[in-house]
Amino acid sequence: VKPRVAALAGLLIVAVAGRAFALPTMIRLGYRECAACHVSPQGGGPLNVYGRAVDEAQSRRAGEYRPTENSILKALSFGGRVTQDVRMVLQDQRAWASQSSTTHTLWPRLVYRNITEVGSRFNAAATITTQTESVPRPAVRYDPGTGAPAVFVNTALLHYEATKSIAFAAGRDQLPTGINIPDQGVFIKSRNRLGYDEAPTQVKMFWNGPRFYVSPFAFAPGGHEAAGEGESGGGTLAEFDVVGNQKTIVGVSLVRGSAQHFDRDTIGVYTRLGFGKWGVLAEHDVTDRERHVQTPASFQQQASYAQVFWAMREWLVISGIGERLRVEAPFESRLTAGKLELAARLTNQIAVGASARVQREQLTGRVNTSAAFQIALKSPQ
Amino acid sequence: MQGLVRTLTLGFFALTWMAPLVAADAERQVEVRNGTAKFETATNMPAIRVHGTSNQLRASARLRESGGTVILEGLEATLPVASLSTGLGLRDTHMRKYIFTTVEGNVPDVRFVAPRAECSPSGKALTCSVAGELAIQGRSRPLTIVLNVRNESGSFRAVGDAVAKLSTYDIEAPSQFGVKTHDDVRLRLEFTATPVQQQASNGGVR
Repeated sequence: VKPRVAALAGLLIVAVAGRAFALPTMIRLGYRECAACHVSPQGGGPLNVYGRAVDEAQSRRAGEYRPTENSILKALSFGGRVTQDVRMVLQDQRAWASQSSTTHTLWPRLVYRNITEVGSRFNAAATITTQTESVPRPAVRYDPGTGAPAVFVNTALLHYEATKSIAFAAGRDQLPTGINIPDQGVFIKSRNRLGYDEAPTQVKMFWNGPRFYVSPFAFAPGGHEAAGEGESGGGTLAEFDVVGNQKTIVGVSLVRGSAQHFDRDTIGVYTRLGFGKWGVLAEHDVTDRERHVQTPASFQQQASYAQVFWAMREWLVISGIGERLRVEAPFESRLTAGKLELAARLTNQIAVGASARVQREQLTGRVNTSAAFQIALKSPQ
Repeated sequence: MQGLVRTLTLGFFALTWMAPLVAADAERQVEVRNGTAKFETATNMPAIRVHGTSNQLRASARLRESGGTVILEGLEATLPVASLSTGLGLRDTHMRKYIFTTVEGNVPDVRFVAPRAECSPSGKALTCSVAGELAIQGRSRPLTIVLNVRNESGSFRAVGDAVAKLSTYDIEAPSQFGVKTHDDVRLRLEFTATPVQQQASNGGVR
C-alpha cells in the first residue's frame, strides 16, 4: 500500500504544486513578453531592475523599489554585474483520494538564482534547486517517472544579446512553451514533457518583433533522464499580437523529439488575453506519441489548460483553472480537473498562495481532491 | 395627398442617419459625457509599452450643416488627470507627477479646444479633421485629431486618433530603471455625442 500512497502523493504534489508567482497574467497590463521584467528572455529566474520595480509596485506595500543598501549584498553584486538571490518556497498540502488515505506533504525548496554579466552582450544564468522532498514526475504506463535529485540544476545558460530584439541562449533550461505558466504540475507541462524535471541541453533564439515573437530551438538530453528516455529534437514557438495593443497574443508551438524508447510530435495553440483587471490564458496541445518498448504502441495525447484570472487588487489575483487530459488506447485516460487559486504578493520579498483542486478520472470515476498553501520568500536585491 | 407625401418624405429624412445633421442649418448643441480616452507610448525596450485609459472624457460642441458639409464649432473637451489609469498605481503616481503636474504643484485637467472643424462624408460616416489646441499642465499646443463619426439613432459615435509629442510641452519623457518612454504618445478617443435637446427628453446621454 505504501508505494501506492507515495505515488498518489507524488501525483497530487505535481498536480497541485505551482510557484504561482511568476506572472504571464501580466498580459492584462500589456506586458506581453517575460523579457520586460526578467533578465532571461524566456522568463523565470531573476528579475531585471525594472522588473524588481514592478514587483514592488504590485505588492501590497505598493512602494518604490530601492536597491538594497546592504554592504555585503552590494559587494556580492560586483558593481551590478551579478544579479543573484535565494528563494525559499514552502508548500504545505493535504490530498484526499477516493478509497485512499489522506496525505499531508510539506515540500520545502531552496532555490539559488544567479545571472552574471560577461561582457556587454553576454550573461550566464544559473538556477539550482535543493529540496528535502523528492517530487517525482508521476509515472504513467507510457512514461517512466523521473526523480529530481536533492540538488537539481534547472538552468545553466549562456545568453547572447545580438540586438535589443534578438537574443540567443545555449545550455540547460526548460524549453520555450506556449502560455509559459510557472506551474510545472499542470497537464500541459507534466504530461507533454517532464514538468519540474525538464532541463534538456539546448540552443534557442528569441526574436521579439513589434507584433510578433519567435523562438526556435534544438535540444538534446539533459543527462538526468531515465535510460533510453533522453530525447533529442527541435521545435519553435511563434506568436502574434492580433490587435497590436500587446494584450491579445495568439501563438502556435511545435516540438518534434525522439529517444531510444519513444518518438513524439507536439503541436499546440495558445492565447494570452488581457483586459485590464482580468484576462485569459489558454492552451491546447496534441501529441502523437510512439513507444518502442514495454508496450509498443502509437497513440495520441491531448492536453488542455484554461485559466481565467482577475486582479481583485494589484497584489491579489484570483484564478479559476480548468484542465483536461485525453490519452488514447492502449493507455486510455480521461482526466478533467478544476482549480481555484489565490495569489497574494505582500512585498517584493514575500508572496503567499492558496489553492484547491479537484481531479476526476472519467473512466473510473476516481476523484482526487487537494488543498495547498504556499509561501515564497526571496532575498533582497 | 401631396401634403401626406411631403410629410412622409420629411419623416423619412428625419429618421435617416443624416437627419440630426441635415435637418436644418440651425445649430445643435451636442455633449459627451463619460467618453473614453486612451493613450499608448512605446519605450526603448521592445517588450514594454505603456497604456492608459480614462472613461471620464467630457466635451461639448455646436453642430451645423452647410452646403453638404457638417461643421463643428466651439469644441471643448476636458479630461481629469486623476481619472487616467495605467493599471499600476505607482506608475499612475509617477505619470501624474512627471507629466501632468505644474511647477507650482497644480494638476489641471487635460483640455482640448477647437474653434471650428469641418466634417465631410466618407461612406456612411463622416471624417472630421479637428485642428485645435491640447493643453497639458495648462500649456496649449497645436494638435489635430482625426475623428470618424457614425450616426447611431440620433447620437454620434466617434472614434479619433492623434499623436502628441511630450517635447512640445517641454516635458521630458519619463524614465524608470532604464526604461524610457518615447516622446510620441498615441491618443485614441472613443465617445458618443448626444444632442443636448435629446438628452433632456431622454433623461441623459448614453
